Amino acid sequence: MLTIGKTVENGKAILSPAGRLDTTTATELEGMIREVLPDTRELTLDFDKLEYISSAGLRVLLSTQKIMNAQGEMKIIHVNETVREIFDITGFSDILTIE
Amino acid sequence: MNESVKKNVNEKKPPLLANLRRRLTADEMFHETEIQANRLGALILISSGVILLVILILTALGVFLLPLESVFSPAVQAVAEIVILLIFCRAVKYDAWWLKPLLLIGLVIVYARLDSMLTHKAAILMVIPVVFSSRYFSRRLTIFTSLLSTVVFACSAYWGATHGLINLNIVTFPAGTVMTATGGFLGEAIQNAGATDEMLIANTMMFDYLPKWLMFSVVSIISCNIARRGRNMVITQHDKDVKSARIESELNLATSIQADMLPNRFPAFPDRTEFDICATMNPAKEVGGDFYDFFLVDDDHLCMVVADVSGKGIPAALFMMASKIILANNAMMGKSPAQILSDTNAAICANNREEMFVTVWLGILEISTGKLTAASAGHEYPAVKRADGSFELFKDKHGFVIGGMRGLQYKDYELTLEPGSKIFLYTDGVPEATDAENRMFGTERMLEALNSASAAGPEQILQSVRAAIDRFVKQAEQFDDLTMLCAEYKGMQGEKV
Repeated sequence: MLTIGKTVENGKAILSPAGRLDTTTATELEGMIREVLPDTRELTLDFDKLEYISSAGLRVLLSTQKIMNAQGEMKIIHVNETVREIFDITGFSDILTIE
Repeated sequence: MNESVKKNVNEKKPPLLANLRRRLTADEMFHETEIQANRLGALILISSGVILLVILILTALGVFLLPLESVFSPAVQAVAEIVILLIFCRAVKYDAWWLKPLLLIGLVIVYARLDSMLTHKAAILMVIPVVFSSRYFSRRLTIFTSLLSTVVFACSAYWGATHGLINLNIVTFPAGTVMTATGGFLGEAIQNAGATDEMLIANTMMFDYLPKWLMFSVVSIISCNIARRGRNMVITQHDKDVKSARIESELNLATSIQADMLPNRFPAFPDRTEFDICATMNPAKEVGGDFYDFFLVDDDHLCMVVADVSGKGIPAALFMMASKIILANNAMMGKSPAQILSDTNAAICANNREEMFVTVWLGILEISTGKLTAASAGHEYPAVKRADGSFELFKDKHGFVIGGMRGLQYKDYELTLEPGSKIFLYTDGVPEATDAENRMFGTERMLEALNSASAAGPEQILQSVRAAIDRFVKQAEQFDDLTMLCAEYKGMQGEKV
């Protein structure tokens, strides 16, 4: 249901989750983020292959954003229409950096 | 005086039997194990009986070189015993406290009889009862069976030394002894050459039974271990089952508590003719994170709330209960929707280590004028039907979700409802209802369903949307909580009676 690609170098990390981010898979993403977070100054989430995100996934993004606000920056790229709409409606587009 | 005598007499009745029965009756949790093991015992008996008959037939046909006369009688007796034991098993359908000891003792006797006949040819028979006993998962029973087997097979070895197949390896003769074949089995020639009964018995017990018993004791140790482990597994499983059952019944209770928390008597305000309101919430699991609420703040103001907590199940349900109460308390103080959301956000952020959040739409309708003041915290767009129009999504401005960030301030917006207007609120479970091919219901289909029933009252409108979702989703499992609220504004048509 969810596979996550990972590239880490020099304080920069790029994670690309592929599939659906819901209650069961959100914990996987959270686990991987927790692994790379300590040494990361620049976190990029590539949502190119992400089909759908539920509130559980939003929760992971929220807590990650708060942590990155303190130690660097986080941005989300290649967001598709469905996910974009979810970000807009919930107001997350004001909190996250989306390119 | 007479009564106490009577009591004593009754107590003297069969305490031994009752005691035995009490000791042998398995705990509730091992009852099933015992019945299964009894069935296994019957299976072993049947297989043994079949094999015996096959041996008998092959011997009669001359395929097995056994003296038929000495084999026939014990074999038939063994088959008869097997049949009797099986009859007992069937009679009580494998469920009686005395069946277990009967089977074990019966098996030991049957195999011992065969052992006395076939002696060294049937060495393995000795382990069958003790291995079988481990299936009862009782170490004590396995030890009992080991001891019983030790004694009974010693007897059958003793008897078989002189009446069963002679074991040619344990007979010693002085060098140069000559044996004459008498035209029969070698065993006869050996006995004719001077092997005495004492010699046969002594040698059998020392060189046949004893080594066999040593190997048997290893099997016995293994069986005891299996019995003990099996017992522990059954107990652990039983404890888990009890725990599961308790949790399940607590969840069912929680479902009722949650359902009762939401206003669920309709029509909700039968004496108010100016408006009508209906709402439903269907959790995906036993308890959910969605909720709705509506209540009169005062005679002229109706407050409506629809909200969706992040996640599902118990954590979301707990957060839902807290949010609902804080929102209602703030609303009853007469604050504006934006103020209610801001103050609720402050209260929730103060105690939110798990960083859960809730999307909320809250509206307050001024009943005398139809003016609806509302604010949204990251919630889905409402669908509004004007008096002479059809349902359309109203893309309101909204703030961030509640519980997401401290210190946020929300903004009110206003909408004037003419008599005949309707408003439909929902959570994302509606547009995101998914069918088996992972396609989503979507807001387009939702608007279609709304407009196909737009002339009807709120209750029918909700039913129409629900039916459309059910038709779309078909057999797929409900993934998210489904919450809907519909309100109709009728205006100040007449005086309240």
